[in-house]
Amino acid sequence: MAAGSQAAGSQAAGGGTAEVRALQAALAAEQAAIYGYGVVGAHLAGNALAAATTDWTAHQEAADRLRAELQDRGASPAPAAVAYALPHRVSTARQAVALAELLEERVTSAYLGLVALPGPQVRMLGARQVRAAALRAAAWRGTTVAFPGLTTAALARAAARRQIP
Amino acid sequence: MASDPTRRAVVAAAAALPLLIAGCKGTQALGTPPVPAPDVARLRAAIRAEQDLVASYQALLGRPGAGRGAEYAILTAVLTEHQDHLHQLRDRLIPGSPRAAGSAPLPRPRAAALPGDPRQALGELLRAERAASDRLLSQVPEVPSALAQLFASISASEATHVLALHAAGAA
Repeated sequence: MAAGSQAAGSQAAGGGTAEVRALQAALAAEQAAIYGYGVVGAHLAGNALAAATTDWTAHQEAADRLRAELQDRGASPAPAAVAYALPHRVSTARQAVALAELLEERVTSAYLGLVALPGPQVRMLGARQVRAAALRAAAWRGTTVAFPGLTTAALARAAARRQIP
Repeated sequence: MASDPTRRAVVAAAAALPLLIAGCKGTQALGTPPVPAPDVARLRAAIRAEQDLVASYQALLGRPGAGRGAEYAILTAVLTEHQDHLHQLRDRLIPGSPRAAGSAPLPRPRAAALPGDPRQALGELLRAERAASDRLLSQVPEVPSALAQLFASISASEATHVLALHAAGAA
């Protein structure tokens, strides 16, 4: 089961607007990442552990920002779950790195949800975090991708919406 | 005529309703040259930037002695991603009449003038990637939501190319 999708954020107290829903979804992804990096760090050492610690701190700060954004909108930030089901077994450094990649990819997708909203401020918040998460994902993966956070299906759907006025 | 595809270039994936409204305005103002929608101008600028990056990588990879090592593999992978970006961006633009102000043919791709020294040349590409990433990011609030997501994703991809170019030895 996906770590991100089990977050308690699905109960989103305090708001039904698209903006609040997207912020809660991003917060849920951040909370799952914070939990996941705890597991990642436990299997790493040296420079890799230092990188995991830096990334864990970045996710803590990003979650704080999202909580503040939700509170500014009169919504209650959903609490983190007590525990998250990991998407795969993690008992080696290689598996820990694979988990870090996956966590970042899910965070990237969640922030792209903010980019689709009308508000310019929340869009920019989303876009900056898409970039930050894509950079962390690429650093763990060791390679780059053409469309961080977007699936092939999402690209096809967007292309199918072509209109000739 | 609002339904005449030859009147203007349109942003494909982006919001049908504003485009239809823009089309109606055009009908009311028959006789004046169609003004390109700002979204179309931003999309065309993104396509131009992307095709220039593609040309720059192709020029570097086409140099005699470009090699086939790790650096070549990194640059080839980055080039492929730029070609994917270009394909997706072009897919969202439907060109109209060449007479329409917003649908003039796109200029030919232009490779950057890269220094002869390979590490310096990679450094130039690194700066070009960073600039392209920042430009797309800055336009995220300005464009329709589907295009904003594409711009944000490509901006993120181009930021990661900076890491790749460092790994390839950029000065």
